[in-house]
Amino acid sequence: MNYAALCIGLVIGLPWLGALLVWWAGDGRPRLQHTLAVLFSVAAGVAAALLIPLGSHETAVKISVGGAFGDFTFVPDGLGVFLAAIATVVGSLAVIFSVDYMKGEAQLGRYYAMILFFIGAMAGLVLTNNLFLIFLFWEITALTSYALISFYNDDPKAVAGGMKALIITQLGGVGLLAGALISYAYLGSFEVSVLLEKAEVLPESVLGILAFGFLIAAAAKSSQFPFQTWLPDAMEAPTPVSALIHAATMVNAGVYLLARFYPAFEGVPGWREAVMLVGMLSAVLSAIMALTAYDLKRVLAYSTVSQLGYMVYAVGAGGVFASQFHLFSHSIFKALLFLSAGAVIHAAGTRDMRQMGGLGKQMPVVRAVFVIGALALAGLPVLNGFWSKELILEAGLTGGPAWMLGVMIFTAGVTALYTFRCVYMVFYGQPAQNRHAHDAGMFMKIALIPLALGTLVSWLVVGPFGRLLEETLPFHGIHAHSLGDIALEIVKAPVTWIALGVIALGLAAWVLRKQLRLVSEPLQGVAGVSRSSFGFEFINRKVVDFTQQLAEDLRAGQTGVLSWNLLAIVVTLFVVIAILSLGV
Amino acid sequence: MIFNLINVVVVVTVGLVGIAIYGMLVSRNLMKIVVGLQLAVKAAMLAFILSGRLNGKIDEAQSLALTVIVTDTVVAVVALALVVQVRRKFGTLDIKAISTLRR
Amino acid sequence: MLNVLIGVGILVSAFLSIRESRLLVTALWLALTSALVSWLMFRMGAAEVAVVELSVGAGLVTVIFVFAINIAGDEALGSQPLLPRPLAWVAVVLAGVMLAWMVLPAMQAPEFLTGLEETSSLHGYFKRVLWHDRSVDVILQAVLMFAGVLTVLGLLTDDPFATGKEESHDLQSH
Repeated sequence: MNYAALCIGLVIGLPWLGALLVWWAGDGRPRLQHTLAVLFSVAAGVAAALLIPLGSHETAVKISVGGAFGDFTFVPDGLGVFLAAIATVVGSLAVIFSVDYMKGEAQLGRYYAMILFFIGAMAGLVLTNNLFLIFLFWEITALTSYALISFYNDDPKAVAGGMKALIITQLGGVGLLAGALISYAYLGSFEVSVLLEKAEVLPESVLGILAFGFLIAAAAKSSQFPFQTWLPDAMEAPTPVSALIHAATMVNAGVYLLARFYPAFEGVPGWREAVMLVGMLSAVLSAIMALTAYDLKRVLAYSTVSQLGYMVYAVGAGGVFASQFHLFSHSIFKALLFLSAGAVIHAAGTRDMRQMGGLGKQMPVVRAVFVIGALALAGLPVLNGFWSKELILEAGLTGGPAWMLGVMIFTAGVTALYTFRCVYMVFYGQPAQNRHAHDAGMFMKIALIPLALGTLVSWLVVGPFGRLLEETLPFHGIHAHSLGDIALEIVKAPVTWIALGVIALGLAAWVLRKQLRLVSEPLQGVAGVSRSSFGFEFINRKVVDFTQQLAEDLRAGQTGVLSWNLLAIVVTLFVVIAILSLGV
Repeated sequence: MIFNLINVVVVVTVGLVGIAIYGMLVSRNLMKIVVGLQLAVKAAMLAFILSGRLNGKIDEAQSLALTVIVTDTVVAVVALALVVQVRRKFGTLDIKAISTLRR
Repeated sequence: MLNVLIGVGILVSAFLSIRESRLLVTALWLALTSALVSWLMFRMGAAEVAVVELSVGAGLVTVIFVFAINIAGDEALGSQPLLPRPLAWVAVVLAGVMLAWMVLPAMQAPEFLTGLEETSSLHGYFKRVLWHDRSVDVILQAVLMFAGVLTVLGLLTDDPFATGKEESHDLQSH
């Protein structure tokens, strides 16, 4: 049992132990529950931070479970440790934030137990090297996400949103499971590294099925086109949950999956183009949707989908490093935006931006951190979002067609526009009503300020971050550069200046919105279409309705008489025997 | 020769499955259905050992049979606990009386 | 010849355990079936499992059955099944035919003949197989037993339906 193995055990085990303890503490002792949740999530965060310097491509934990499943292995490679660190650190900040946000709520045990269960599963998902375990952890994150979206289970909208998220991510889970089983059938192993190593051995058609199965899984999990409608509906969850699961961690699992298996699939014809297309469409469509939404959390959700689109696009363009670096920046600034939005909503008592306005004077701290996050989201220089977004655009320049790059740059401008619209409507302008909003509580500030600092300075670690990925991912062929090189490269690249120009145009469009009637009038027409998610809302709702109606109809077959149930089981046995005997 | 060990075990296995299925399908008493389930599991265990014997991998077969025994015991214990609860709630073990799932 | 006697014994006692209407006697017939099955397994060379089956299958499970019957009590129920009796017969015959269809081709394989010959040289690796090759099973077994004990404790200690009613009452009052 070496040191890395101990850390991996702690990162996964501590949150799960904490979940059990919180549940055991019972809802009668809320103070104890708050304390336990904070203690265990922070301890897991510390363990994950200690794991970062131990990153290597060697297997750290190997649990032998016999011949059938191979070994359950955990590898602390660069992708794994940094995502585990994000999951646990952002997780512990979200838990600390919850101490204020969830004060006095009922059923805290269910809330904290699910969050801690999620944190452990997310760390396991990124650290394991076994496809079977990836699927297992993947499904645990889907389950906890569903349970937390529907946390207010007397609210029909929350329940419907949870069901929708569950059904659509299950669709993706089927793609992942099929991929894992096919890979096992051909390679005789669930090991990820075996799949990466021997990808050329597989027949081309099989590798194609695998590649597109994983793409479906990733798109459903990361709420990408054409599954992009579940994430906005998931905003019924308590805000710390939205910040943790639906902005910083779980939705990144899809991008993680694509990045992890990129070396195996890059040779599949059409796969890279499909990935870029999915990312581009998600980015541009949801940016336009964010422009017309009035619900503060929905705006942030659309922008999450849009930024995830950037990452998926970068993976498709071959920029695995750029995509992971943007993932890193995005987790920090989007968690910051969501948590400060949570503070605003908590204080204002509404999520409708039209009823906010002028809150800046009443909550100066929240305004300050929100503006920092918003500037990073818009991609203005020196903040972390600027550097990573420019890296993605540069990857797109070398790895993708020019028209897609053009769309992505246009999206950057739209991003700036909706970000400034959002900031203005919430913190500036005329107060919509004379409501006294109090500033964030102490625990909220404890959670917000580290994230704001991270947004300001996290790009400084780009050098070590690149080296970590380069040294521990033997199949990805990542070349690390020092901070100075990357900064110089970005500053010299023409794409950067074009993008900055477009961002400035977006800003100008908001400032001059009164004069630009020519632009804003047709936008009103787009607004209606975009609120229904360009028709994809309809398709996704049909899928969910179909699943639920099917379940409802199948109820007629349940008479509750045990004998008939047994007969059905026996008949199924006959079918199984027939299939086995015929050797189909 | 026709009465050798293997042939006997094949016949017993198939016979046990048949008896178990019949017992589970026609019983009205919940407890008897659990008994039928136990018989079916005995047949499965015999089949495991038989296949191990035929392949010369008796140890793996034994290991699997052990898993079956443990699983089956846990199933029996939980099933009987449920039966006791059914009896407390409905006052009977008749499966006709407890089929209340109709719409 | 002994094998045939054991086999007939298994089938007869299994049949009687299904036919018997008194539950206690049913449990005893089940125990006898289990004991005979373990004897048959012993004769096939699976000594380790036979011992476990004898102690757990015939011993522990029977004790639990008797215990449960004591709590739940016996009652006279109508013998009219809820399913048409011919349908049950069809299912049984079909099961027999299909199993034979699956098993008989395997019996023609050459390994079958070697399986007939040897009896003693096969075992001796049981521990290694159990602890190394199938250790996932052992882990699962431990988890399963734990879950089973928890379930039974939960089911037997307090009346879950009573607490369920309280909860639903709480929800209504909100």
